[in-house]
Amino acid sequence: MIAKTEISESDKQTANETVIQLRNVSKSFGSNNVLKSFTFDLHKGDTVVVLGKSGSGKSVLIKCIIGLIKPDSGTINVLGKNIPELNNEELDMIRAKVGFLFQSNALYDSMTVRENLEFPLRRHKAKMSKSQIDELVVEALTNVGLAHTIDMRTSELSGGMKKRIALARTLILKPEIILYDEPTTGLDPITGKEISKLMRELAKKYNTSSIVISHDLNCVKIVADSIVMLIDGKCYAQDIYENLERSSDKKIQEFFI
Amino acid sequence: MIPVIFKRFLNETGDITRFAGRFFKEAFKPRYEFAELLRQCYFIGYKSLPLVAITAFIMGLVITIQSRPTLVEFGAEAWLPKMVSVSLVREIAPVITALICAGKIGSGIGAELGSMKVTEQIDAMEVSGTNPFKYLVATRIMAATLTIPILVVLADAVSLYGGYLGVNIRGVVSWDLYWNQVFDTLAFSDVIPSIIKTFFFGFAIGTIGCYKGYNSNKGTEGVGRSANSAVVISSLLVFILDLLAVQIIDLLSLT
Repeated sequence: MIAKTEISESDKQTANETVIQLRNVSKSFGSNNVLKSFTFDLHKGDTVVVLGKSGSGKSVLIKCIIGLIKPDSGTINVLGKNIPELNNEELDMIRAKVGFLFQSNALYDSMTVRENLEFPLRRHKAKMSKSQIDELVVEALTNVGLAHTIDMRTSELSGGMKKRIALARTLILKPEIILYDEPTTGLDPITGKEISKLMRELAKKYNTSSIVISHDLNCVKIVADSIVMLIDGKCYAQDIYENLERSSDKKIQEFFI
Repeated sequence: MIPVIFKRFLNETGDITRFAGRFFKEAFKPRYEFAELLRQCYFIGYKSLPLVAITAFIMGLVITIQSRPTLVEFGAEAWLPKMVSVSLVREIAPVITALICAGKIGSGIGAELGSMKVTEQIDAMEVSGTNPFKYLVATRIMAATLTIPILVVLADAVSLYGGYLGVNIRGVVSWDLYWNQVFDTLAFSDVIPSIIKTFFFGFAIGTIGCYKGYNSNKGTEGVGRSANSAVVISSLLVFILDLLAVQIIDLLSLT
């Protein structure tokens, strides 16, 4: 049971400007302390990339933000709500405003592209008419340049197409925040670059705030407004790409070689 | 000191019981997933029909052919339809159908949910505002519980027809005489308990398949393991439940 943590007055003020505010978030799996008092803010309209080694807890971090994993301690304030304290109904309301792009795309194999995109709409916006749903599905697919795949099964798509469809599904609810879990992993450099540019364009178009987990420096360069270095479970440094690339700190340099 | 294997068995039993308890807690609360339930009934029930029918037909035929020599030895060949119908309806059709379903449905559910788990589709569902337990697990358990008894009734009918052909391979028994003998022999006390127990078979098969798939880990290797252990455990449970059912029926003097 996570104790309710008081949010200070100064933090409340900051929260007015920020869409995600993490304070002293810790998470352990057995003896492995993945996150240790992690503190971080995401401001409206910003795209922050979280850079860290494999197994450093990057995916755990964004899964804590969306409420898929409960932290051991700390507060995770998303759009003014402390995620660990919410019940399922309250979490669903927040999740309608937060998109999540999974590393494996997580497209439903048993459904067509259309059904995959309709799924979150039918769940979050049950009162929407069939024509409204169709319109949004076509718009989302057009945004990612794959309107022609609407009636295809996901098994017929290439890796890059699956990623674009997953991105379309993430965007279909017009979220205020998008969490990307390694969006270019498993893609060739050209497709990876295309996806990164697409992420940037869509973030501008819909004025979304994003957290991107990535190892791909090409992607990081394109999408990041700033970078958070997740080292030893903590926010080791936060700065823009150019400054971190020039850093003399060995721990930071390792990532830019 | 409790042996490790026994400890693991107790842990697993506890987890499965909790999982089944969660089904009762969540399945009967809104929001109801009727569309998905119907889809699962189609996949679990309708798609299993051909396999169950062919197996039941062969079972009826073989049981009749195998039983004939013994009855001939005692000069009781005329009792063949009676004996075959009781053994098929009371025991063989329900258990064999349940075992086929444990193989086909149990492994299917285990593998499907397992691969959904490792490819993060279950997480994606949760993020989409869907309770994955209700949508994926409750509907599958319910569909298995409802459709397996229907499959067993069908298996009863087809296996009895197989019995009719079996009787006529070596002898001559008219269609009317065969069915008269069958229905004269069979009582409600034979049919009803054997159908009631199949609801429990269906529930066990659905629950184990879902439990193994839903808790799958270790990537694709884990998916294979989930499917495999779903079949093994649910088949074993079918026999254990059958044994319990026979004892209860006997205690209640229903035979």
